[in-house]
Amino acid sequence: MVAVRTVGVGKRYGGGETRIDALDDVSVDFGRGRFTAIMGPSGSGKSTLLHCLAGLDRPSAGQVWLGDVELTRLDEKALTHLRRDRIGFVFQAFNLVPTLSALENITLPLDLANRKPDREWLDKVITTIGLGDRLNHKPAELSGGQQQRVACARALVSRPDVVFADEPTGNLDSRSSADVLGFLHRSVREFGQTVVMVTHDPTAAAYADRVLFLADGRLESELPDPTAESVLDMMKQLDAHEAG
Amino acid sequence: MLKLGLRSVLAHRLRFVLCTVAVMLGIGFVSGAMIFTDTLSTALKKNFAGSTADITVTPVSALSDDTGTSSARPATLSSDLAHQIAAVPGVAGTDPQLLTTGPQILGSDGKPSDTYGLPTYGAGWPHDPRTAPFKLIDGKAPWGEGQLGLDQSTAQREGYELGDKVKVVTPAQAVTGTLTAITTPVLAGAAAGAPLVTFDPATGQRLLLGGPGWTSIGVAIQPGQDSAAVTKAIEAVAGKDATVRTAAQVSADGKNALDDTFGGFSTVLLMFAGLALFVGAFLIVNTFAMLVAQRSRELAMLRAIGASRGQVTGTVLAEGLVIGAIGSTLGLLLGGGVAAGLQFFYQRLDLAIPTAVLQISPETIITCYLLGIGITLAAAYPAARRAGKLPPVAAMRDDAMLPERSILVRVIIGAFMLLMAATVYAIAVNLKGLPAAVLLGLGAAITLLGVVMTSPLISRYAVRGLMSPFGRKAPVTLGRRNAERNPRRTSATASALMISLALVSGLVVIASSAKASVDKGITDAIGTSDLVVTRDGGNPFSGQVRDRIAEVPGITSVHRVRQMAGKVGDTSVRVAGVDEGTLDGPITAQVEAGTVSGLQPGQAIVPRNLARTLDLSVGKAFQLITTTGTHRLTVAGVIAPNRQLNAIALSLPGYTAIGGAASDSTLYVEVADGTSIATVLPTVVAKLQDYPAVQVRDQQAYAKGERGPINAILGVVGMLLALAILIAVLGIVNTLALGVVERTREIGLLRAIGMDRPQLRRMLQVESIAIALLGALLGLVIGVLFGASIQQVMADDGLAVLDIPVLQLVIAVLVAAAVGVLAAVWPSRRAARLDVLRAIATE
Repeated sequence: MVAVRTVGVGKRYGGGETRIDALDDVSVDFGRGRFTAIMGPSGSGKSTLLHCLAGLDRPSAGQVWLGDVELTRLDEKALTHLRRDRIGFVFQAFNLVPTLSALENITLPLDLANRKPDREWLDKVITTIGLGDRLNHKPAELSGGQQQRVACARALVSRPDVVFADEPTGNLDSRSSADVLGFLHRSVREFGQTVVMVTHDPTAAAYADRVLFLADGRLESELPDPTAESVLDMMKQLDAHEAG
Repeated sequence: MLKLGLRSVLAHRLRFVLCTVAVMLGIGFVSGAMIFTDTLSTALKKNFAGSTADITVTPVSALSDDTGTSSARPATLSSDLAHQIAAVPGVAGTDPQLLTTGPQILGSDGKPSDTYGLPTYGAGWPHDPRTAPFKLIDGKAPWGEGQLGLDQSTAQREGYELGDKVKVVTPAQAVTGTLTAITTPVLAGAAAGAPLVTFDPATGQRLLLGGPGWTSIGVAIQPGQDSAAVTKAIEAVAGKDATVRTAAQVSADGKNALDDTFGGFSTVLLMFAGLALFVGAFLIVNTFAMLVAQRSRELAMLRAIGASRGQVTGTVLAEGLVIGAIGSTLGLLLGGGVAAGLQFFYQRLDLAIPTAVLQISPETIITCYLLGIGITLAAAYPAARRAGKLPPVAAMRDDAMLPERSILVRVIIGAFMLLMAATVYAIAVNLKGLPAAVLLGLGAAITLLGVVMTSPLISRYAVRGLMSPFGRKAPVTLGRRNAERNPRRTSATASALMISLALVSGLVVIASSAKASVDKGITDAIGTSDLVVTRDGGNPFSGQVRDRIAEVPGITSVHRVRQMAGKVGDTSVRVAGVDEGTLDGPITAQVEAGTVSGLQPGQAIVPRNLARTLDLSVGKAFQLITTTGTHRLTVAGVIAPNRQLNAIALSLPGYTAIGGAASDSTLYVEVADGTSIATVLPTVVAKLQDYPAVQVRDQQAYAKGERGPINAILGVVGMLLALAILIAVLGIVNTLALGVVERTREIGLLRAIGMDRPQLRRMLQVESIAIALLGALLGLVIGVLFGASIQQVMADDGLAVLDIPVLQLVIAVLVAAAVGVLAAVWPSRRAARLDVLRAIATE
């Protein structure tokens, strides 16, 4: 089963001499219930790919499919509602609305959709992030790691088709990173969630089932069942290839 | 630092736009008022530079403020005095003149010519055209009762040409004359621009004065004579009954009189300016607070690379300087436009107001810049000071925060002020009259300041309650929390609207209480009278009117009331003469002490409020000054304050004895039982065809007419409201727009996780409505409280009834909510257009 699929996706900025191809003819499938990491050096187009997959950005060429919906055909309003109902997000920083409590942040996508939360599911998600009695605290009163776990819970609460995480551990220490990544890993294993994560950290990538490597907007290589070592090896290999 | 400030303003143009607009509006009104006043006085000076008598002799009137609505005989000088002055050494010649108010010119349709509120003047044709206040431009001087002259403006407006028959009603009688002269004013005196009818001197004396005499004597001195010496010599001849003034003194006095007339417009403009600047200051305070907060990292960086505290503060103040300078410049331009518009408006009214090129004096420019820049700097200072206190390490931190002072000190000061205001109110309500009203004004000002100080605390609790009817959906909750998250900002924005609405609702309550009081005063005071007869502008009219009405079958009685101005000590009072029996029925007077019937000459009735002011009681004697001198009167009775008789009342013979003229101010008509008013009224009106200015109205129509001036005040209040709302909208737009800039990332996040544009709009609307409602309700409470208290203390002085126009006030709150919706339009469009990707990437 494929959750998200791209067909010949390209993203081009500018024109003529200053033309930049951020993405060039990327075709890739993301399996349902799988944890995929996207890696690559700065400017490789990994964030652009994530934004195109998540309906935050529009590719200049090709198609993006979420299940049987072609994102590239949807208008602004439909995309917004699709993000709300079928996609979850975890950003690198500034994930939470400062005026809302942790719990209110978690249920925000449902509130925006005017939907009642599924009580059982909500309890399960909340228990998993292990915030305990801090649920009614404002984000400013939570640590960076706690904030990211709240963000993860929010991403899961609407049982989205896929969760996109953009460098979710970029601002965290190693312990908090392990918490967050462990949580994403469990959501895939235990709840059958689909997760796509952009990262530059081999250790983070090792939590995934599969790693995609991007360079210069092209899909260079991929690695199934990665470990931190194998990811690091692959990165060195690609660097050498690049240099040579 | 100035360079940095300028760069910063240029870089954040958009964020400063509304600040600049606020300064511009305030300064626009200030400069408009100043330019208009300067232009007017330049024009007046120009006209005064023309011819006038070297020396002018006028009769001493004990009343300097004798107005046209008095039926007192004008004080006059005799022809003998003119001859005596002519014999004074150094005098080349004398020119006795006659100029007075009171006549009325009728249009060709028989209706009174519209004078736009100016009095109509009547004059005798001058013996010496050189010293006359007007000159002939067409035709020839009128002669005898069958001929008269008109000023050019009136003739043109009414379509009269030389040879036409023109009807004029004078206090003495109505006359019809052939138009033989068209005149134009040569001096800008009290008569400039006003309608003027001229007769030959003898006819003028008879029709306008009711007897011989002159209202002034113009004196020409021989060449080479010292005018001061001649003035002294004339003073010796004229004695204490006349004032002798040189040409320079006359023009100064005349200019003052005209300044008084048109000064009202400057006052209104300055009132608008004050409101605009005051409310605008809040907007500026907010903008700078937000801009400094947004740029705290940048400013801390300046500190880190070696800028001193003073330099960082200076950078922010330099921005204030730039904004103030730009706003003041634009304001000056706007003011020029306002003044030009006023001048155009006056010319359209054809008032023959002297005009000149718009005068933009250095004083105006300096005042406007000082005021504009000063207020902007003062408003920017708190933010600038806090910017200076930023620690340099803030540059390294992600979440650079400005040191926020606790609001506790502020709230305590505010609470203290509220307590003080409550004390002032308590004291004032127990006092009565005007001093208490002034005290209440002070109390209201302190209340406003106190609420401004405590409002961060108030807003914290009030916003939730106010917004509860809007439900708990996600956008509503978010919007409400945004309004709550920075209480200082929310309350400062709301304060602008609060002050405006407090002012307006206070005035509305006072005005509608005044209306209700007029109605009640009339119902209470006009007892058995079925018809009330008056003339336009409260002017007196011929005694024949009474006789004609009395002839109508079905009329049982006509009582007359005459009025003139007088003085007791330094207090200006109205003096009335009433027919015997007037106070027993036609006017209902509640006698509180003494008696009101069978008054002898020398006896007077005094209303309680006047008795209190003048410290009078039954049996006490006092000195009343009228045009004919000082008269000793004894109080015979004290009555409750009475709308129809707010004057020292005498019997008719007593009134005549102290210089009252035989023309009436008001007639009270009783219709026989069983005769319907509706059938009598047309007959009465028909009888008065010769007196078209005289109005005969039943009680209802009379009350409606009396309410007219209050409606005019309400009109001005409405305009104030419009301006206040405009600036308040600017303030809310400003706060929201800056908030959108500040929360770019948050909005990006919300959009990313699925908030659609209508929801985003809703969120900003809710914040906006919360601010607007908070300001409106606080303002409304303060305003109504103030208005009601004013009514309390002025209960004896014309505000007997409290009337709180609930519907109007509810509408004001709804308008405030609508204003909230409106103010959110532009910021939410900007927010909706934010590119989600760029927003979440924004540092």
